[in-house]
Amino acid sequence: MNTKTILATPEIKTDQQPAGLRLFLSKLVKQRVLVFMSVPFLIWLFIFKYLPLWGWTIAFQDYRPALGFWDQKWIGFSHFKFLFGDERFLRVLRNTLAMSSINLILGFLTAIVLALLLNEIRQVAFKRIVQTVSYLPHFISWVVAASIIQTTLSPDGIINQLLIWAGFIDKGQEFLFLGIPHFFWGIFGASSVWKDIGWNTIVYLAAMTTIDPSQYEAAEMDGAGRFKRMFYITLPGIKSVVVVLLIMNIGYLLESGFEPQYLLGNGMNVDYSENIDIFVLKYGIAQSNFSLSIAAGMFKTIVSFILLFVANSVAKRAGESRLF
Amino acid sequence: MLRLSLAMLLLSSLATACSGNNGNNAGAETTSKPDSTNSANAGTEEVKKDKVTYTIFNGVAGSKDGNTNETTIGKMLEDQTGTNFKLEFLVGDLNTKIGTMIAANEYPDVLIPDAAIEEVLNAGAFIPLDDLIEKYGPNIKRVYGDDLDQMRSADGKLYFLPMSAQVGEFVPDPEPTAAFWVQRRVLEEAGYPKIKTLDQYMELIENYAAKHKDEGLTGMVSLTHDWRFFATANPPMHLLGYPNDGNVMVDPATLEATTYSGSDGAKRWLQALNTLNSKGMFDKASFVDNYDQYIAKLTSHKVLGFFDYRWQVQTALNLLKDAARKDPSLDGYNYFPLPVTFDESIADAYVDGPGGLVTNRGVGITVSAKNPERIIQYFDNMLKEENQILISWGIKGETYEVNEEGRYYRTQEQINKIDEAFNEKFGFKYYSWNWPSYGNNSTLSDGNARGVGYQPEVFQMSLTDKDKEILGKYEAQTYTQMFAKPIDRPWYPAWGFVKEQNSPELMWETNKDELTKKYYPKLVLSSPDKFDSIWGDFQKEWGKLDTAGYEKWTTEQVKKKVDMGK
Repeated sequence: MNTKTILATPEIKTDQQPAGLRLFLSKLVKQRVLVFMSVPFLIWLFIFKYLPLWGWTIAFQDYRPALGFWDQKWIGFSHFKFLFGDERFLRVLRNTLAMSSINLILGFLTAIVLALLLNEIRQVAFKRIVQTVSYLPHFISWVVAASIIQTTLSPDGIINQLLIWAGFIDKGQEFLFLGIPHFFWGIFGASSVWKDIGWNTIVYLAAMTTIDPSQYEAAEMDGAGRFKRMFYITLPGIKSVVVVLLIMNIGYLLESGFEPQYLLGNGMNVDYSENIDIFVLKYGIAQSNFSLSIAAGMFKTIVSFILLFVANSVAKRAGESRLF
Repeated sequence: MLRLSLAMLLLSSLATACSGNNGNNAGAETTSKPDSTNSANAGTEEVKKDKVTYTIFNGVAGSKDGNTNETTIGKMLEDQTGTNFKLEFLVGDLNTKIGTMIAANEYPDVLIPDAAIEEVLNAGAFIPLDDLIEKYGPNIKRVYGDDLDQMRSADGKLYFLPMSAQVGEFVPDPEPTAAFWVQRRVLEEAGYPKIKTLDQYMELIENYAAKHKDEGLTGMVSLTHDWRFFATANPPMHLLGYPNDGNVMVDPATLEATTYSGSDGAKRWLQALNTLNSKGMFDKASFVDNYDQYIAKLTSHKVLGFFDYRWQVQTALNLLKDAARKDPSLDGYNYFPLPVTFDESIADAYVDGPGGLVTNRGVGITVSAKNPERIIQYFDNMLKEENQILISWGIKGETYEVNEEGRYYRTQEQINKIDEAFNEKFGFKYYSWNWPSYGNNSTLSDGNARGVGYQPEVFQMSLTDKDKEILGKYEAQTYTQMFAKPIDRPWYPAWGFVKEQNSPELMWETNKDELTKKYYPKLVLSSPDKFDSIWGDFQKEWGKLDTAGYEKWTTEQVKKKVDMGK
């Protein structure tokens, strides 16, 4: 604490507001308790989020777990060359981007629409039931969810039974949904929506509660109907939340998830279901080729970082609320 | 959502960052005192008074963690040696666990690294055992004999003990390791014909299904889920009359290893499934179902036949057997193993023969162990015949009996008593595997089988009247008698050869898996007229793999093994 007081500049009693470095220092002194409180978390952040970056060096080595750092063989960029030269990697990259885009867009649209609809419901009991039912699947683990999806989509599952009952197909012509490669993205999108729609609406519903009710009353006076009110008051009211969430999620664009693809994927749909994480598992970790895993992980981190900054600066230029 | 690669990155980098630090949990619990008696005579008879506990990590998920001296067998072994072992079994990912140990350079006293043995050896985590065995291991030398030479690493030293070795005469398993299985009611209705070839097998199933059209029966299912895909990919090897050597078939005369996944044998097998599928008798969902769904289908009574290894379907078979015991009318839903090959002139190889030694698995003493002498003495003591009987058969009068001719057997009462809970309490479970021991097919010096299930008397007792009746129709006492006699293959199993991490061989296997998982379903499910063109596509992709290199490497390993066995 003593050092802090030594560092502190004496308060300047002028009419002018302090600026620049002075402003920073004076604020630092004024808020020293807050600064002090944040120190443990900065240390935590440093240890768990920055120190591990040291491990990135493994991507440039022919890493062997038993050897010390100086005994490792350095091989430069050859792991990256292997990754980008491999047609499989380009395919899994495509799948990753496609699936996370589907997830992002579908997830956003459905959650906002559901939130808007829920917001209009005045019957509290019904609203609660809809909310509970829609967010329950979020708590089911993907392992269980994948089994449910597999059973539903199997040849003797309910979807095929419905199709037969409705007369679209005959018995014996059942679809093997998970065996049709280009169905996979759709199945993935639909299952993700089913699982997370309720959960995703919560934040929007919370944002909607901050909208001043008098705005609705005024609009009603002016003769705005339900949809007009939704469009001109509710949507602009939650716009800032939507934009911030969108920016954050764009940072995760290369994270299309691991479990659903791993659990629902099989030899028949591998061309469309395999994503970067599974590729890394197969060719990196399973073969003890840790360097390759880390090279792929690095690639993901760097691309995500760039995407995040681009999205943020686009939002900044467009004059929207943003992350930083 | 699990971000596996990121977690991996964090973990491995953190491990690198902290290497040299201790504060690790593994191996810290040894309470061993310095052993002053180790200079005494090398005999294993000496009684250790001071009690010690060592730790073992077992790289296979299995039982609950615990102390061996909490079981009856473990207590008896502790009384003999003064040594107790604290067992820890794998939870989660093996490579992560072993990687953490290596990075921290902290190990349990004894390590059973399972598939990660290569990494452990590279890390120099095992101490050489040669001198210890020389000094304290008369029984180890007796049991393993020359086999130990096969386990030596490049520097000529021995770092780990194989899990088991063949002792005495070879007793075959009374049941085959793998088979084409068929429901007993199918055999019954057809009048118990002799089924030898794939064509006969398919015809048998088709005939039954045709007669029972309205029962919603499935001709065949196949297991394809994840790594278990081999249950669908391996049959060509068996149909051609070879045992499960993994990715290759090894010619016993020339010792040449050849792969079969892209061969005509594979084509013939897939074509047979394709034909079955076109008749609507193959379960299409086989290619999307997971393991649980597969097992559920086998117990649903609707599936007429399948190919698989017994250890994979044991749960299903046990369930059906138990149900049939309670209600004999359900006996027809039990499965019966058949020795199916492509041609009647081909001798099958479904029953495991004497074979060689699995050299990519074993148990070693780590550099963290303070008293390797005591550990090796414990192992040596375990390999005494009386203790092998204890581990396998238990205590005379309690878990087994001996008749006037000196044959061991179990009474019905004893059989009923020994269930899973008893196995745990008595210690059969802890000692059933992954300790240095006699192999299952071994015999004791008095001629009894070392493995309880391998003793013909015990096997006969496990058969129901119906079992005996059906076996009688084929003039056999055990299922194995219906199969060809296994021949000696010193390299067997070839899947047990040690492969370097990140080697071309591992890469070939991964690529082959990828390719077969993609094309086999297409080939089986396509309409029969498109089969040949898809096979052509597959062959084009297959040609890109360095199969010749893989075969060459495997052949070398086979020859090495055969030379060592001489």
